[in-house]
Amino acid sequence: MSDDPKVRVLSATHLARNILFQGETISILHDISLDVYHGDSVAIVGVSGSGKSTLLSLLAGLDLPTSGEVVLFGQPLMSLDEDGRALLRRRQVGFVFQSFQLMSPLTALENVMLPLALAGETNARERATDMLARVGLAHRLRHYPRHLSGGEQQRVALARAFVGGPALLFADEPTGNLDTVSGAQVIELLFELNREQGTALVLVTHDADLAERCGTVYRLAQGRLSAERS
Amino acid sequence: MKRLAAAWRFAWRELLSGELTLLALALLVAVCATSSVAFFADRVRQGLTLHANQLLAADLAIESDAPLPSSLVLSARQAGLQVSGSQTFPSMVTTAGAVALASLRAVPDNYPLRGEMRVRLADGKVRVGAWRPAPGDAWADSRLMARLGIRLGDRLRLGNLSLRLSGELLREPDGALAGYSFMPRLLFNQADVTATGLLGPGARARWRLMVSGQPVAVDAWRRGVEARLPAGARVESVEDARPELRSAMTRARRFLGLTAMLTATLAAAAMMLAVRRFLARQWQPVAVLRCLGLTGTEITGLFATVLLALALIGGGLGSALGYGVQAALAGIAIPDAGETLPPPAVWLIGLGPASALLLLIGLALPPVMALRRVPPSAVLRAEVPPRSVGMGLPPLAILLLIALSLWQMDDWRLAGWLLAGMSGYFLVAGGAAWCLVLGSRRLSRGEGAIGWRFGVAALARRPWLAVLQVVALSTGLMALLTLTVVRTDLLDAWRQSLPPDAPNQFVINLQPDQVQDFNAMFAAARLPMPEIAPIARGRLLAINGRPVQPAQYRDEQAQRLAGREFNLSWRDAPPEANRLVAGQWWSTAAVDEFSLEQEMAQAMGIRLGDLLTFDVAGTQLVGRVTSLRTVAWNSFRLNFFVLAPRAMLASRATSLVAAFYLPPAQRGFADRLVRRFANLTAVDVSDVLDQVREVIDRLAQAVEALFVLTLCAGVLVLWAALGATRDERLADAALMRALGASRRQLRTVVLAELLWLGGFTGLLAGSGAMLLGAFAGWKLLELPLRCNGLLPVLGLLCGMLLVPLAGWPLLRRVVRQTPLSTLQAR
Repeated sequence: MSDDPKVRVLSATHLARNILFQGETISILHDISLDVYHGDSVAIVGVSGSGKSTLLSLLAGLDLPTSGEVVLFGQPLMSLDEDGRALLRRRQVGFVFQSFQLMSPLTALENVMLPLALAGETNARERATDMLARVGLAHRLRHYPRHLSGGEQQRVALARAFVGGPALLFADEPTGNLDTVSGAQVIELLFELNREQGTALVLVTHDADLAERCGTVYRLAQGRLSAERS
Repeated sequence: MKRLAAAWRFAWRELLSGELTLLALALLVAVCATSSVAFFADRVRQGLTLHANQLLAADLAIESDAPLPSSLVLSARQAGLQVSGSQTFPSMVTTAGAVALASLRAVPDNYPLRGEMRVRLADGKVRVGAWRPAPGDAWADSRLMARLGIRLGDRLRLGNLSLRLSGELLREPDGALAGYSFMPRLLFNQADVTATGLLGPGARARWRLMVSGQPVAVDAWRRGVEARLPAGARVESVEDARPELRSAMTRARRFLGLTAMLTATLAAAAMMLAVRRFLARQWQPVAVLRCLGLTGTEITGLFATVLLALALIGGGLGSALGYGVQAALAGIAIPDAGETLPPPAVWLIGLGPASALLLLIGLALPPVMALRRVPPSAVLRAEVPPRSVGMGLPPLAILLLIALSLWQMDDWRLAGWLLAGMSGYFLVAGGAAWCLVLGSRRLSRGEGAIGWRFGVAALARRPWLAVLQVVALSTGLMALLTLTVVRTDLLDAWRQSLPPDAPNQFVINLQPDQVQDFNAMFAAARLPMPEIAPIARGRLLAINGRPVQPAQYRDEQAQRLAGREFNLSWRDAPPEANRLVAGQWWSTAAVDEFSLEQEMAQAMGIRLGDLLTFDVAGTQLVGRVTSLRTVAWNSFRLNFFVLAPRAMLASRATSLVAAFYLPPAQRGFADRLVRRFANLTAVDVSDVLDQVREVIDRLAQAVEALFVLTLCAGVLVLWAALGATRDERLADAALMRALGASRRQLRTVVLAELLWLGGFTGLLAGSGAMLLGAFAGWKLLELPLRCNGLLPVLGLLCGMLLVPLAGWPLLRRVVRQTPLSTLQAR
């Protein structure tokens, strides 16, 4: 990616998402537009059930909107099929989830190597080892997720998300399952990596401290998005 | 390459972590079971053929009423086969003071090619092996020795030649095949034939050419010569000549096929559950992989690679294990199996991996295809949305596997019936399981403390899983019940179809005015009364007015029946060992009706209602076919192809035939009968009976040995079926513990579910086993149709005992675990 801060990595225009429930159409998101540029950090806050996770799914191309358009790295997502969107994610996007979502049969190191192996990249082992050292887990390389604490699991997830050098990282409540101390550590790491790699961050969170650290904060209420701070 | 390596690592770790253990184990047992049954069945089949060949004293025999052309012998030698030949002819045997008509047989120095001769020599010792009389010697059976009043070492005369009686003939390997000779037997060396001067032109001799060698070479030679055999010569196989042995072999094949089918069904059911569990647990990891950018094709490729590797490795290992298991089973069933049973056919080694692949494709493809459609957004949702998977393929795979095992039965009509029966059972069990779910829902609506209602409700909470579980569990239990209870019934019934007192002696040419004295001799000797039937010799002239010509039939037996006279008899009531399969038995007033044996009618194209014309002693008898019967030829009772009412045949019956059982100690009684009534001819079939009994016993043992493996598969199904809901049960229990449920309450909940499930599946399984057993007895073993009404009750009790017992480890874990450990694991 270019270092030019003006490069737009994500653009959403007039997004809407409806679902059909027992014959009735329920509108979850209406007319949402936002842009994210290289190196930005964007927080989306809102109460439970306001549609934050649904919006994240649409922005990351995990799901498709009922109407409107998402353009990721200049590619309109509607023009790609599911596999095309998967390939785009593989090359450019990282994810961090509230419930960590590590592969339980794989060690910490293997979990971090996974995206590199999937992309067919070389030096996966060295790069994954370096990244785990970077998040402070050099001594936990061969540990399985079940032997790690919540904070450690989330740090492995951060390493996995950043190891491929993504241009854009989506995080869904990254501190939601962590205690205050672990949460603070993870937030610190997240922004350090954001700065080091110039990765744009899009976070969905309840955590006021986390939202506070972001450059832009949007609030989602009753399916509508409003800028709270920019 | 790197992606493949990542996939491999993932699969390997899954295996190590235990996620794939159940699936791998189920696959291993499935393949081991099916392939060991296939290996074993093949060996038994080959062994039986070998055993049968021993009864031919060769691998193939050609029987002829004229000397066989030397070109035939030459072609057999050129084909690398060993050749032997004998001549059999009737002639008088004389001693200084007596004369007797005997059936003489001249055998060469390489006789027998297969099987063993049993003879008592002058030293009193019995020799068993490839023995034959030396030139100048003769061996006679006890009947001839009794008639001539001679002992070993005495001399006797055949035509111009004097021979020394050097042995008492106890058993010729192919003696039974040589037509249960009505006459006493004498064996001598072929080198002496010419010197007797008996085998001149016009002699009523039978020539027998015997060959042996590699099965492929024998088969090829048979195909080559069959078409150009001279008139009056025919290839003889043991199955043609010995209907009772053929019947035993057919039954054994069917029994083995049935066992293989049950094992395959069980193993497939276990696999279906294991696959479902494995892939259901992959939903969330797949969603993560989708987020990380794996395409649908790559997801399919990943799991296809994992499963393909599993199929090949599991299939290969299972096949190897199956080979070992069959060797062990063969060792248990047949003490010297290593020597007497040939090794299984090589191509069967491929059966294991092939059936593993078939199973995995059929069972795993639908869920794998469903994984391909896992939305990446599923990673953000706690609840995984239920997805329907292609429901058609798994039953298809199971049915294909069953078909594969039924192929061993060599009877597609029967296999089709069983296949249809199993499909019907799956449908009925599925329907019944759905009713159970509805019933559980209704039952669980009552209010009250957490207890048995909550357990019963567990089934209603996971309806489709409950249906799958009930079908799999009940199939497993049904197979176990069939193999424990029904198997014993069937095997006993099979053994009893040839009871210890089955007639081993036949007497022909008995006259009506001799019956009273004849019976009196039995009474005096304190022997049970013989079964006596009248006989009339008849020839079938026309069917519906059209003359019958042997040439119009392709079937050899039909040709024989159309071309010669055979025995007819009359009866007031259907004979005991017969079963009416079409039409009705006649009233006592009937005069112009016939009852035919079903297979004979089929071979000759005769149907119910056809008008038959018989020539009996010069009189034409015309009547309609009013009933068809199946005849238990293996019962050794007096059986007839054609029966008529008393009024039609009573006045035309020329003589009577009697059948009776003589214990070994009273064998001399038959000779006393023949001496008392000079016109009688007695035939001793006890050797044949012993051989058939031995075959049945051996086969029954083999079937019982296979049962052990089926039992393993059954236990695995129980484990898999209960394991299928293990995670859900643990999670439920953890939540309930967290909410304050006591251990006692949890125990009640789980026990209630297991008891309810066990009772219901047991009832289903018992009913299924009852029907399967009745069907197996009726169609497979040709026994009278009989239902064991106790089986459903037994099934209910077994289910209520076995299912909770199998679920005991789960119960312990549910009660002992800390709620935190389970909730954290989730």
